[in-house]
Amino acid sequence: MTTITLRDTASPSGARPATAAGQGFRTATGGMIDRRRPLDFTFDGHRYGGFQGDTLASALLANGVRLVGRSFKYHRPRGILTAGSEEPNALVELRSGARREPNTRATVAELYEGLEASSQNRWPSLKYDVLSVNALAAPVFAAGFYYKTFMWPSALWEKLYEPLIRRAAGLGRAAHAPDPDTYDKAFAFCDVLVIGAGPAGLAAALAAGRAGARVILVDEDHRTGGRLLADRREIAGRSGADWAADALAELASMPEVRILPRTTLFGVYDHGAYGAIERVGDHLALPPAHAPRQRMWRITAKQAILAAGAIERPHVFGGNDRPGVMLAGAVRTYLNRYGVLPGRTVAIFTSGDDGWRTVTDVSAAGGQVAAVIDSRSSIPADLRRAAEAVGARVICDGYVTGTKGHLGLEAIEVVDTYGSRQTIACDCLAMANGWNPIVHLDSHLSRRPVWDETIHAFVPGALPSGMVAVGAAGGAFTLASCLETGGRAGAEAASACGFASAVPETPRTDPESLAHTPLWRVPVSKGKAFVDFQNDVAASDVELAHREGFRAVELLKRYTTLGMATDQGKTSNLAGLGIMAELTGQPVASVGTTMFRPPFTPVAIGAFAGHHRGKDFRATRHVPSHAWCEEQGAVFVETGLWLRPAYFPKTDETDWLKTVNREVNTVRAHVGVCDVTTLGKIDIQGRDALAIIERVCANPFGTLPVGKARYAVLLREDGFVLDDGTVARLGESHFVMTASTANAAKVMQHLEFCHQWLWPELDVQMVSVSEQWAQYAVAGPRARDTLLGIVDPGFDISNEAFPFLACADVTVGGGIPARLFRISFSGELAYELAVPAAYGDAAWRAIMAAGSAHGITAYGSEALSVMRIEKGHAAGAEINGQTTARDIGLGGMLAKKKDYIGRLMKERPALVDPDRPILVGFRPVDRSQRLRAGARFLAIGAAPSLAADEGTMTSVAYSPSLGHWIGLGLIRRGQERHGTRVRAYDPVRDGDIEVEICSPVFVDPKEEKLRV
Amino acid sequence: MSDGIETTLRPRSAWAGIAPVGRHGRPGGEPGLTLTLREEIGLATLIAVKGRTDALRQVLHERFGWSLPDTGTTSLTGERGLVWCGPDQWLALFETRREMAGLVQALQGLAAVTDQSDARAIVRVSGPDARAFLAKGLAIDLHPRAFQPGQVAVTALAHMGAQVWQRDASPAYDLAVARSFAGSVWSWLSHAADEFGYDVRNAEPVAQPRG
Amino acid sequence: MRIRCPHCGTRDNGEFSYLGDAAPARPDGMEAQPAAMHDYVYLRDNPAGPHRELWYHGAGCRSWLVVDRDTRTHEITGVSSARDVALSRRTGEVA
Repeated sequence: MTTITLRDTASPSGARPATAAGQGFRTATGGMIDRRRPLDFTFDGHRYGGFQGDTLASALLANGVRLVGRSFKYHRPRGILTAGSEEPNALVELRSGARREPNTRATVAELYEGLEASSQNRWPSLKYDVLSVNALAAPVFAAGFYYKTFMWPSALWEKLYEPLIRRAAGLGRAAHAPDPDTYDKAFAFCDVLVIGAGPAGLAAALAAGRAGARVILVDEDHRTGGRLLADRREIAGRSGADWAADALAELASMPEVRILPRTTLFGVYDHGAYGAIERVGDHLALPPAHAPRQRMWRITAKQAILAAGAIERPHVFGGNDRPGVMLAGAVRTYLNRYGVLPGRTVAIFTSGDDGWRTVTDVSAAGGQVAAVIDSRSSIPADLRRAAEAVGARVICDGYVTGTKGHLGLEAIEVVDTYGSRQTIACDCLAMANGWNPIVHLDSHLSRRPVWDETIHAFVPGALPSGMVAVGAAGGAFTLASCLETGGRAGAEAASACGFASAVPETPRTDPESLAHTPLWRVPVSKGKAFVDFQNDVAASDVELAHREGFRAVELLKRYTTLGMATDQGKTSNLAGLGIMAELTGQPVASVGTTMFRPPFTPVAIGAFAGHHRGKDFRATRHVPSHAWCEEQGAVFVETGLWLRPAYFPKTDETDWLKTVNREVNTVRAHVGVCDVTTLGKIDIQGRDALAIIERVCANPFGTLPVGKARYAVLLREDGFVLDDGTVARLGESHFVMTASTANAAKVMQHLEFCHQWLWPELDVQMVSVSEQWAQYAVAGPRARDTLLGIVDPGFDISNEAFPFLACADVTVGGGIPARLFRISFSGELAYELAVPAAYGDAAWRAIMAAGSAHGITAYGSEALSVMRIEKGHAAGAEINGQTTARDIGLGGMLAKKKDYIGRLMKERPALVDPDRPILVGFRPVDRSQRLRAGARFLAIGAAPSLAADEGTMTSVAYSPSLGHWIGLGLIRRGQERHGTRVRAYDPVRDGDIEVEICSPVFVDPKEEKLRV
Repeated sequence: MSDGIETTLRPRSAWAGIAPVGRHGRPGGEPGLTLTLREEIGLATLIAVKGRTDALRQVLHERFGWSLPDTGTTSLTGERGLVWCGPDQWLALFETRREMAGLVQALQGLAAVTDQSDARAIVRVSGPDARAFLAKGLAIDLHPRAFQPGQVAVTALAHMGAQVWQRDASPAYDLAVARSFAGSVWSWLSHAADEFGYDVRNAEPVAQPRG
Repeated sequence: MRIRCPHCGTRDNGEFSYLGDAAPARPDGMEAQPAAMHDYVYLRDNPAGPHRELWYHGAGCRSWLVVDRDTRTHEITGVSSARDVALSRRTGEVA
């Protein structure tokens, strides 16, 4: 910095400064910082000192650091505009390494020992930034620049424009390492939610809390009190800050009141649901051990009181973004709360009485007030006198038209009522252009704010029932009205929740005046006059949008990016609307306002995820044999939420296919066991149990005797297949239905829909028993021999007594109740044995022991899949929501004489079109070639085109039984074309091979193995 | 299960290999939570046969001394009794599985009885921080003004199905989840309980008379 | 959104899943006509305003519910058990 000696106190070499001595702009006394607790921190590698209670912004200002960042588009030097979460400029990267977080607001980042911060959007350094040449090309970057410029030639888009834009775009750098912190979530319920702990919120919480209501009070600040901490005010003869401290102490003593400081209410949702983020450990170098960094609250409230306050408006004039130009309220915050002089010589530019409050505060803190420029033509005499008493020049009916200074403010240019211009030296300019109630939260539910002409601001419109806005958030700007509306709302909210309450008396406050005439922009100013600091939107961009017809507020916003990005236009929105109102010659009320969306301030993605990341991103379900599978070194695969063993490699098996081939061969030659617990199992009982099964299944069940199971196919009402499974009849009116792993929950929901909504008159009792039973498929020629070793003697499971499709209750292992089903997915002699899940682990081990003499292998989902493809059984790839029973070869088994779900719609012409692709088998003509699922079928010689497409390969496997690849697929008129050849065209993987259409049953087509 | 089973098969707890017994989380001081792993409880779903709810109520009272709980409530004496779980549906709880013998017969024609003893993993959550802990995963209001001993909710815990009923005002809750989810539930539990410090224990074994 | 399940009390909408319009009645039985079935499966009004719709309390008591909701404001004016609604519809048919 060349002109002002502010930075002299900071050592550029990074040497440690004497903490207190380094803070040249710290007042000698005052402020709510703890001067006994000095803290060191670094900014862009330089070391500085601050105190406990500082924010990064207040500590930087205390050290005379005004330049903290570069702007988004033009890379203009920027400083600190505000003292709160509305800050558009002072966005910094906090921390380093894996904890580096971009775009944090210096104005809300609490200082802690060792804090590391760095500026953003600059290279090679904050002071000398290469891309600041963008500012010279500013006319090029005006509103609509991207839309107009990067249209043509289109060939340049991918090669030039996109990489260029991507390099220049964005603010800050995200961390590249996994986030080492933990995040928590919690639900909270209350009668009355109070959002904001300023005077209105405190009064509301007190009134509701005293009535006995359950109250949650949230405030984004770490210290409650709001503007009472920032302005020197009096309530009931005491300082406002003392009153706030007492209020907090009383609230803390109430058992039903929960106070959440450092908590931002970021979203309002339907029916009294709210989202809030609590920064549990962000004010510390590291989150405390065993505590999360942040906690996401989902709050449900019967009544909500919005007391979020208001945001001050900047003036729009040339150079209003120069570091040192600040909001007047922020200047007072730094003076009164943090004991920091934002400048030694302060000028004040105001359009209302409120800005004059800054005069005495600056003066009391030892600063010089150079001038007060008021845009109004008349000003109260007492204000003028007070300013003149401290030596300030007073300019009435004047404007600030420009600023000077290299990387920070050195002087302002002023024009007075006579048009005469002067330059006034100052290092800080305080702007006071009135306040906007924070209407963000109440517009989250599409409630559009309405214009209030008396306070020249948008105020909440009609709010949902149970929600009220009070204090400044409701447009009641005086301290007295904050306390009054807050107290009343607190009492009324408690009453609405059934608590006896009385509207409290409003304590007496010091006098104040809010007279104000807003100035949407300074009419005569030079240079870029910024409306939206964060998006670099200037008044000239609004003019351009107006000229080009983007006048409606929603278009203005999208065309110029006004009010977008992380600050959602908190400081900027109204100025843009005001200028558009001027240009179109209509009142602001007619221009209207855009809406605000959640979140109110940015929320880390990690906080939304909470515990649910990495392996906990979603739940994992384990099969009963899981422990054994892990011991055996099984390779697992995710199937929905389930983690299933895919295959069990032996030590010498380096290739998965080798393992799967061994498993298949062993099953086909000897015996294997597979955990099929993942299937859905639904217990169906009752007088009408059969009736509901008949209506939900497309094939007939009336003839199913007790002790038998049958394959079942379920359709959707639109005629497509929903799922397939089995139904076993355990008793006259007792059935158990299985559903596929993927559709288990869906089928249960479907059955409940049918029972509760379609046919409530049926006497049926259904419950899922999926979790109760471990179920194991034991398959292969030695399956029965194996089972004889675990099923208790006394149960005859011979082929005669227990033939194919039999089912029975048995006991295993000496009395453990079990269910045995003779069903087969592999095509082998096979059983499914169900045992209570707690015995699943032991039963599995017992089966392995019983089968060891017979050469048993455990097999996983891969071998299971190979064997079902060898047998031509349709599974998920074929039952994909787009196929009918006819498509997958099940048309013949459908019932003719009963009504069932999907009966009529499956007959629609397109679904019975003979040209519809139908399930058949495929094998490569050259048997050494590999098949690929997803390949499209084309006639040999046909050019690939949509019209030539004949179907798709749905499932493929290497068949160890046949020694080559086989496939299942859906192809036009497939059943008539066995023996003919087509192309399996797979351009994505460079596949284009000839395949032969064949029966989908590749192994044991006569089913000789099944029934022995 | 009837007496006199001489099985060689040993049941495996739903929490086996998942929930390590001992003190965890924030060290020092009294733990905020105690998580007691419940084992060997007998559980069965009762679903009333259409139109037989009153008769069911009567038989349950006469044969077991149980009253059929209203919507959203439990009717428990010690570790036995009934927990509501849906319209015309209840969960019958027994201290041991063997006590369940005879239930199906007793309720023949009145309710479908389905054994669910192995379908759930159950943990008892107690201690001064029990409410704050459960509030991290259950989207229901557990404040004493809203939820008290004798109340039950069927809901979700961190996106996983769960049923929770309050045992006493200390407060203590029983939390039941699907068995196959036990690993993920415990992963959530240990994350959420970390800040409070927690003790994991096995339930006191029930004295099993050998016949 | 929060929905008051008649069995479980008011719960977050994450516990529920949405099906759609509760008005269409399934044309049951062997005598049902394809045209009527087509309308039942596909034809729906899409009102901006009050709407009777089916929701499923899948993460709770597993009840199907009939919810009266204003599609513009999400205001819910009534929730009943679908089974009760269906039974009373049947009674209405008989009467």
